Amino acid sequence: MNDVVIHSRNHTGPAHAAGVSITELRKSYGSNEVLKGISLDVKPGEVVCLVGPSGSGKSTLLRCVNLLEQPNEGTIHVGGFEATDLDVDIDKMRRKVGMVFQQFNLFPHLSALQNCTIAQTKVLKRPQAEAESVARANLDRVGLGHLADRFPDQLSGGPQQRVAIARALSMDPELMLFDEPTSALDPETVGDVLSVMRNLAKEGMTMLVVTHEMAFAREVADRVVFMDGGVVVEEGVAERVIGAPTQARTKEFLRRVLDPTHIEISE
Amino acid sequence: MAMTARQRAKVSLYVQAGIFAVAVAALILATDWKTVSTNVFNFAKIGPMFPDIILVGLKNTLIYTALGFIVGLSGGLLLALMKLSSFPLYRWIATGYIEFFRGIPALLVFIAFGYGVPLAFGVSWDVTVVVMISLGMVASAYIAETLRAGLQAVPKGQMEAARSLGMPRWRAMVSIVIPQAFRIVLPPLTNEVILLTKDSSLIYVLGLTAAQYELTKFGRDGISSLGAGLTPLLVAGAFYLVITIPLSLLARKFESRSARTKR
Repeated sequence: MNDVVIHSRNHTGPAHAAGVSITELRKSYGSNEVLKGISLDVKPGEVVCLVGPSGSGKSTLLRCVNLLEQPNEGTIHVGGFEATDLDVDIDKMRRKVGMVFQQFNLFPHLSALQNCTIAQTKVLKRPQAEAESVARANLDRVGLGHLADRFPDQLSGGPQQRVAIARALSMDPELMLFDEPTSALDPETVGDVLSVMRNLAKEGMTMLVVTHEMAFAREVADRVVFMDGGVVVEEGVAERVIGAPTQARTKEFLRRVLDPTHIEISE
Repeated sequence: MAMTARQRAKVSLYVQAGIFAVAVAALILATDWKTVSTNVFNFAKIGPMFPDIILVGLKNTLIYTALGFIVGLSGGLLLALMKLSSFPLYRWIATGYIEFFRGIPALLVFIAFGYGVPLAFGVSWDVTVVVMISLGMVASAYIAETLRAGLQAVPKGQMEAARSLGMPRWRAMVSIVIPQAFRIVLPPLTNEVILLTKDSSLIYVLGLTAAQYELTKFGRDGISSLGAGLTPLLVAGAFYLVITIPLSLLARKFESRSARTKR
């Protein structure tokens, strides 16, 4: 069992950042195997971007980490928890793992502030006043302190996603999972969300990010993992994987993503 | 004869209005107004109905409806959750219950809990208890289906977001899913209350003391005591509308509100 390494050379992050260790993970829906034996380590404080074509299994992999999907085989260790142990206290584990969804999934009947306090008071049993001050601090952190009383439908996509990040941060997670956080956003609001994530990375948060934002991956990620067809095709330092991929499938994918208007003329 | 579509529509409208006017005129001519004025619209003699039709009849109708609704809402929520349970036995019980109580006349339920069940167990139940149980059990069946639809209309991502914040399933249900489901079903739920208001009249099959009369029983009583024919029932009916029309308006308001915003 790989115990999580506490030190990260690249980051002077909070000592409570957790790592992730995934070995030989398999997941099928019926006869359709989506994850075909994935192994992946994320060190505490490390930022890893999962990239690849849609249907490559990267979102499923991410969702397995906090057990929104139940893997069929293999092991996942998150912080001090073995997620794949059937006796694991799922709720206790999830408190340490923040999740940000493509569709935000804010609670529409609660204000931005209440979105950030409800799990604190109901799960962590924090007093209301403390929960609110934590929530306000995190809303400030994502630049939305002044919109704390707005309801989700009074915010556009970008701000909604930043509230969702603040909501996750309010639980003091040791690891953050991002599932295509900018894919549902209007182009002009993408930047704010990415800069919130960039700051989070600088503060030393462990982050596992499924994204199509190659520029972001290249700049912020310590490592990039390229997945296709349920396997890891190539992984390594962001600059290397995106800048000088060695695998044909990676090259092909990057060519399409980085230059979508490129038309190949075969001779 | 060549007509534009608009002209044709106009002519068709005139024809419809004409038919309607003729029908109304025929009804007016065919009516025995002398009898009607003494037996149906005899408002001169209904004075003694007041103020008790409000202080007793209306009050009891409201109380019976409210009790039935409270039981129906709790029972309906329980049944809805059972119907969505992953445990088959719960689903079967809930489905059986719902089909049974939606399928039989509410009157039979009132008779069963007013006479049958107390007889079988050698107990005697107060009228209030009988209404609460009978109306509540029928309402549970209808409300369960409404709530189930509402619970299923809450996007799956809401449960996922709540669970990924560390909430146990029941907590996510209570704090996140159920409040949203209630907002969705507010309009149909208001319509349930309208149906319940009217069904509360079925308690007439039991022997009621004067203090237990609700609107319909109060009206029926007036028929025999006031000598104004059916007029007291007309008055009772008007008081139902006093309850149901505002509820209808309320339901419409909820509907337009939920159409405007998902909140």
